[in-house]
Amino acid sequence: MTLTMTREAATKGGGSPRSHRPLITKRNIPYLLILPALLGFVAFKAYPILAALYISLTTGAGAARTFVGLDNYVRLVNDPLFWTALWNTALILVVQVPIMLLLALVLALGLNSPLLRLRGLWRLGVFMPSLTGLVAYGVMFSVILSKDSGLLNWVLGIFGVDAIDWLGSPFWARIAIVIALTWHYTGYNAVIYLAGLQSIPKELYEAAMVDGAGAVRRFWSITVPQLRPILLLTVVLSTIGTLQLFDEPFVITGGGPDNSTLTISLYLYENGFRYFDFGYAAAIAYALTLIVAGFGLLQLKLTGGKK
Amino acid sequence: MINRRGVLALTLAGTLTLAACGGGGEKAESGGPVKITVWSWKPASDGLAAVAKDFERANPNIKVDVQVIGNPAIWEKITVGMAAGGKGLGDILHIGIDYLPSYVDKFPGGLADLNKLGAGKYKDAFAKGLWPTVTGKDGGVYAMPWEVNPIGFFYRSDLFEKAGIDAAAIRTWDDAIEAGKKLKEKTGASLIGLNKPAAGSMDMDFYQSLLQQQGAFYFNQQGDVTLSSAPAVQAMTLIKKMNDAGIVADTSGEGTAKKLISSGKLAVLPWAAWAASYIPEMRPEQKGLWRVMQPPAVTPGGKRTAIVNSTHLAISGTSKHQAEAFKFIEYALTKPEVINKVFKEGGVFPALTAAYSDPVFSAPTEYFGGQPALKTFVDSLTEGADATFYSSDYARALKIASDAQTQVLTKGADPAATLATAAQQLAQQTGRKLAG
Repeated sequence: MTLTMTREAATKGGGSPRSHRPLITKRNIPYLLILPALLGFVAFKAYPILAALYISLTTGAGAARTFVGLDNYVRLVNDPLFWTALWNTALILVVQVPIMLLLALVLALGLNSPLLRLRGLWRLGVFMPSLTGLVAYGVMFSVILSKDSGLLNWVLGIFGVDAIDWLGSPFWARIAIVIALTWHYTGYNAVIYLAGLQSIPKELYEAAMVDGAGAVRRFWSITVPQLRPILLLTVVLSTIGTLQLFDEPFVITGGGPDNSTLTISLYLYENGFRYFDFGYAAAIAYALTLIVAGFGLLQLKLTGGKK
Repeated sequence: MINRRGVLALTLAGTLTLAACGGGGEKAESGGPVKITVWSWKPASDGLAAVAKDFERANPNIKVDVQVIGNPAIWEKITVGMAAGGKGLGDILHIGIDYLPSYVDKFPGGLADLNKLGAGKYKDAFAKGLWPTVTGKDGGVYAMPWEVNPIGFFYRSDLFEKAGIDAAAIRTWDDAIEAGKKLKEKTGASLIGLNKPAAGSMDMDFYQSLLQQQGAFYFNQQGDVTLSSAPAVQAMTLIKKMNDAGIVADTSGEGTAKKLISSGKLAVLPWAAWAASYIPEMRPEQKGLWRVMQPPAVTPGGKRTAIVNSTHLAISGTSKHQAEAFKFIEYALTKPEVINKVFKEGGVFPALTAAYSDPVFSAPTEYFGGQPALKTFVDSLTEGADATFYSSDYARALKIASDAQTQVLTKGADPAATLATAAQQLAQQTGRKLAG
């Protein structure tokens, strides 16, 4: 920028006054091209982000809004429910993400197998859950998980398992969330892995086969290292997604029972839109952003450092 | 269980859309009739729409447009309108008492002070306990009482008979617990049902009515937290006693409560006046089996009445036709014959005391075995309920109290200790004082 301006100034100083400069020049065309996106970013991202920062330093709403400095953040640190939400989110993260990604990888390997028939149909089936709308999803799981008349308890009953109170017990409610999340997002990750698998050059496998490597050896020595960047991507995306977990507890458990499935995003929503405590909700949002950013950086450092 | 405060289904995006689509309610008038809009929900809105026609005939220069916004959608819509400085709000707003103090406190000027329009003269016209709740801290009157729902004790007379229990002899909840044990033994039915884990929705009307019978609530009139007060612990202890006696059914899960009612597994429904029409609609085949009486008291000789909830009509602080709007409210809510027409068309139990002399309130109800069912509620209101102060932090208090009830019912937690923690938490979250 500075360079450009100096050069322009120099031209002007050179004494060649240009009366009609064209509106679109070679120099400004890249800026014009990104302008729509930039305006959108400013209006719908930058402004809310900055406004939320200001709101997080205030309390009240509308005409009654007052500046309170860091009060909301102090309150946050001392709020047992916030720590409960953080703990719940961490628990779900640690249990659910590895299970889901492992499942997705297995699915992707299956879908990629040349022995598989009706491949398109299977792929569609695996991906379908990620397209399901929130409300349909919620209704479906409340039917599946119902204690007395639910599908899951009926199936378990066939194997002699007693009816599980999926939504009424803190432990099982968390498991229910893990099941729902896994159902919803495994297919999405499987499709990403599938794309990754297909971009691995066939020659590598052929060469390995010629050298006498078995299927297991080929998987660990070729597939996994080749998929590494994609594995990393899905770990980061899933971690961020789980940290922001909202839909599943919102539609299935409502955060209960006794706050056992309360997540940070759900707590944020409750404060903002149920208690109209927008300042506090904004503070939670900023805390969540910091946590997400921290985790993202950490994972990149730990796993992607070699690149 | 019916929960008026259902899940607020709107997401952030929805809220913003609403904010964007608001606006444009008001048009500059140029001599023609003034149009006022009313925001309400079904079926109450049907009653209001019916009398709006009569009102228009008597006042040709005012047109009334009753809009069905729906409950709970109306709360988000009012919130968004008020946050936008009153833009796009209806002139008249139908507001539940659990939301009214939030709007009054959080959006000063959002609702008009009806005292200035002449509401003061109706101070004693409504059921006792309502007027203090529509009066703000500044002495302004922010809504006119429309609907009142006093608590009832609907019971299955056939099951009571089978267990050899005389309902009239149940005077305290301790009596009811003894009766409940007998019922369980002889008929297998539970005394009451509660959504113990609060899965799906919170189920706090029963606990609240036990508080209200003692003239207590989560907050006192000064707005201090009273969630750990003696009456609060007393009420929770009663619920724990019932639960420990094995006479509280768990109604969590889709349709569980209805199933239990159909199969005669619930002997008592501690529901409010609206259930006098809801139970006959829901279980027509159980005609003649149900009776209703006032609920027993918490302490011997104590108060048996409580107002579970009430709804009101308020005027937007930014409405350009406040005088006309008030004229309609006055017409609809303060004349016995008009409010009774609203009651007949919209099924909303009137708050206006003068309305109760209408024969409909003492007529025998066939469904309830020829008992004058509505008279029970009129008697309750005549006895007089205490005012309930919801405060602007009711939503938070409700959630925290519900968590406490879940802990007591599902983990056997100690009521006093649980409520002490809950009250602390409520005070910390709201910046309010614990009442001494």
